[in-house]
Amino acid sequence: MIPLRDFLPYLGKRVLGAIGVLIGAMLLVFIISYILNPNPAHLWAGARASKSTIAAVVARYHLDQPWYVQLYYFLQSYATGNFGIDPQTGRSILSEMEFYFPNTLELVLVSMVMIVALGVASGYIAGMRFGTKVDHAIRIFYLATWSSPYYLGGFLAILVFSSYIPLFPSGGMFSQTISPINHITGIYILDALLQLNGPAFLSGIDHVIMPAAVLALLDFGLVARIMRSSILNARWSTHVKAARAKGTPEGEVRRNHILRNALIDTNTIIAVTFGFMLSGTIVIEEIFSWPGIGYFTYQAIVSINYPVLIPCVLLFTLGVIAANFIADVFYSLLDPRIALGEGGGSEG
Amino acid sequence: MFLVVLKPLPKRAVSRTILGVVLIVIILVASAGIYYGFVYSAGTSSTTSQGSTTSSSSSTSSSSSSSSLTTTTSKTGSTRTSIQVDELTEPDTLDPAVTYETSGWEVVEQIYQGLLTYNGSSYTSYLGVLADSWAISPDGMNYTFELRPNVAFSNGDPFNAYVMWYSIYRTLVMDQAPSWILSQNLVAGNGLDFNVTDSMLNSIDYAHPSSADLSVMSNPDQSVVVLNASAIQFNLGYGYNGAAPYSGFLATLLTPMAAAVDPMFVGSHGGVVNETANDFLTTNAVGTGFYQLQAWVLGQSVSLVKNPNYWANSLPASQLNNAIAPAILNTVVINYKDSATSIADLRSGTVQMIGVPVTYYNVTAGIPGVTTSILPIVYGSSEDVHYVYMDPQALPILNNLDVRMAIANAIDYQDIIRIVFNGHAQQWIGPVPPGFQYYNESTAGMTPYQYNQTQAAISLSEAGFVSHLPNGTTLNPGGEQFPTVPFLYDSDNPTDQGAAEIISSNLESIGIPVSLQSLPFRQYATLIDSSSDENTTFAMGLGYYSEDYTAAIDYVSYFTSTDQIGSSAYVDSLVLNYTTQAATAVDSSTIIQAFRNITQRMYQNYTDIWLYVPELMAVTANGVTGIIPSPAGSGMGYFLYYNTISYSS
Repeated sequence: MIPLRDFLPYLGKRVLGAIGVLIGAMLLVFIISYILNPNPAHLWAGARASKSTIAAVVARYHLDQPWYVQLYYFLQSYATGNFGIDPQTGRSILSEMEFYFPNTLELVLVSMVMIVALGVASGYIAGMRFGTKVDHAIRIFYLATWSSPYYLGGFLAILVFSSYIPLFPSGGMFSQTISPINHITGIYILDALLQLNGPAFLSGIDHVIMPAAVLALLDFGLVARIMRSSILNARWSTHVKAARAKGTPEGEVRRNHILRNALIDTNTIIAVTFGFMLSGTIVIEEIFSWPGIGYFTYQAIVSINYPVLIPCVLLFTLGVIAANFIADVFYSLLDPRIALGEGGGSEG
Repeated sequence: MFLVVLKPLPKRAVSRTILGVVLIVIILVASAGIYYGFVYSAGTSSTTSQGSTTSSSSSTSSSSSSSSLTTTTSKTGSTRTSIQVDELTEPDTLDPAVTYETSGWEVVEQIYQGLLTYNGSSYTSYLGVLADSWAISPDGMNYTFELRPNVAFSNGDPFNAYVMWYSIYRTLVMDQAPSWILSQNLVAGNGLDFNVTDSMLNSIDYAHPSSADLSVMSNPDQSVVVLNASAIQFNLGYGYNGAAPYSGFLATLLTPMAAAVDPMFVGSHGGVVNETANDFLTTNAVGTGFYQLQAWVLGQSVSLVKNPNYWANSLPASQLNNAIAPAILNTVVINYKDSATSIADLRSGTVQMIGVPVTYYNVTAGIPGVTTSILPIVYGSSEDVHYVYMDPQALPILNNLDVRMAIANAIDYQDIIRIVFNGHAQQWIGPVPPGFQYYNESTAGMTPYQYNQTQAAISLSEAGFVSHLPNGTTLNPGGEQFPTVPFLYDSDNPTDQGAAEIISSNLESIGIPVSLQSLPFRQYATLIDSSSDENTTFAMGLGYYSEDYTAAIDYVSYFTSTDQIGSSAYVDSLVLNYTTQAATAVDSSTIIQAFRNITQRMYQNYTDIWLYVPELMAVTANGVTGIIPSPAGSGMGYFLYYNTISYSS
């Protein structure tokens, strides 16, 4: 357990740091967007928009003001938790994010389960079977998948498992031939489960398997690699030799001395991977028509729609910060010798 | 001792690992088996139960299916009650006063209805939808409509002339991007003593209007006048077209902008706000149509279900037409996916209709159980026509006729059609699009621009620039070097990229260096639609035009009457006069002569370099029947309504 007297000051420091990073990210997106298109009113109003519609957009977003005044209004609205109105759809940005983000969370969580299972298991086996054909085969497999682009994996999966062997739907989050379910958490599978709606739940599972599996297959390599190298470090460490010398049963040595130590570094990578995946599913969401925050962000990027882009980037930044924070806390929990904030991964 | 203890362990570990792997495999296979057993049985039972409910409404479509697109029906197949469709783009909004994209119109046209629609596949004759009959005054300035009785919205709210008055003014007062389609001829104020405002629209009781309300709606000095509860009159002359009739007016009334909208529904969800879109109506819809919105899952799909309260359900078959017949299919699901995924879905039988570019013709034509048809060129024209724009404001040397002639002669049109479209495109002469009414008359005796590199090089040298003949000879070596021209295209469109690369190579070979520059579609479309005064970055590029309503004058007006980059900012008072003549004439011969004059003048001036019109194809699974193609259609770009479609597998 981490003592509260250590944890609170640490948390305070991290929160302060996070605020700085968030402001920095926001400034960066705003400035880049502003440079790319200093007068986006026409773009946001849409092609062939009337002059009055364009004028209304200018007025609503203060586009006739200097950049720092526009920035001030953004900061003011974000400070109150109001992200404003999407200039292109006319909908509340917050409500749009509330719709899209849980969908991404669903995809990423299912994928993370697969990544952890696949990455930890294959890394463990490769590490324990170091130098054998099994080790080589696992390494070749994860290097091959890891280095494959998302679009290749996505289209291959659709071609094989949707078109020629139609096992899974090619896209979407659930079948629309099923009656709609009520939104509780926004995560479709969870909502279907909470409402004991079997067909909706099965439909949700049916739709999430392929995009999550593709994401997992293409991303588990990092976890497997770190796990393998950590296993090797742990196997050859003096405390493992000592444990064996003391006659500790091999199962216990593997479980308590090798696996547990190896999981310290792997845990960091898993947490960081989760943080990055929240923002890194854009291609997969596009290919599988998955209505997630990545899809939403992509639409905003191509329109230089920075009222939408900024909150999305803030969300992604927050995801990465939170994931790193959780990794650090776990680091301390798994290894009491490591004080909060001193953790870090190593690659093998 | 250590060795004795440690050595046997790996063997046990190996055997345990193998055992573990085998167990996991068994569990996974068993789970997958159970899972698919579940899914399969669920899918089978739902199909069976849906199948039994179809027959009650199928008879209603028989009158309209005779003119439909022919597809094969399985003799032993069972009738389905739902259909799945894949297409590329999601709707922009479902508000009929705001939607300005084909995908939005497609959904809106199933839920909402207007006064009229096109008569089957014709786009020059009309059928009544909410209008029972109509009359046009001899001077073409007044259109009077008698409305159908007993029409109601899907929520039971009544439809009448007051609602129609409200619906038109709602579009005009909101003044969103597509409202210009109506405001060419209609406006919310008469410029003198009468102005319809948002608060006025929100305050009237449209079911039981007061005498004060009636006096407003029946004021004769306005664009839309209520004659009585079931009759309404449109008075032209108030819009920016001026005090003149408009030959395309009926076509403008067929757009979603003139659809009937329920004032009570809108009133209880934000009402009408001046120059502002209604957030609620963006994703929610209540109309009088044969389908109603079940759900729009943003980024995924739209599902439509049969309107159980549809007003025409009770009409005898003799009073129905294809545009008002009740829907045959209970459910239509439109998924939004890229072309490759759509084709994969069609191949697997997951979907029955897909909307993909004609460049995939050879792929879809090779899928068993699928019918792929190339539609007449008018369908391609209504989708989009392509050309090279040249903005002299951005690059003044483009004012030089010899330069423009050199560019026209430098482009290998047939190479583009052959390489980029596999032959599935046609060269054209604008601005009247091919296949449309008056195209043949406008272009009679003319040939499309021809590829002639020698002539191109000569023209360029005569304009004072260094140029190169195909044999390598340099002409006018002492002349000026042509500056590098930024050439814009849409990066989201692969055919645009292919065409731009060929054009760039063609131009460079005669001595015009080109810098290819692309933007994602939304940025590209906004840029070429902006005034040439606003942006001078992209002097040349690929332009496109897609119909707003199915009338040649819609295209001609764009190319001759706007100062936009995409129309080469073309200003020619003579051509403007011809355009006005064509727009306001009530007899065909005047329209034809005006279009012919415009076509010849723009052709000889090389105002825009008319490139190609891609063909449009219909791709459906065998067993899909009842599609009535229409060049005005938004459904896959070639039909209007899903109500006549049935599916047997």
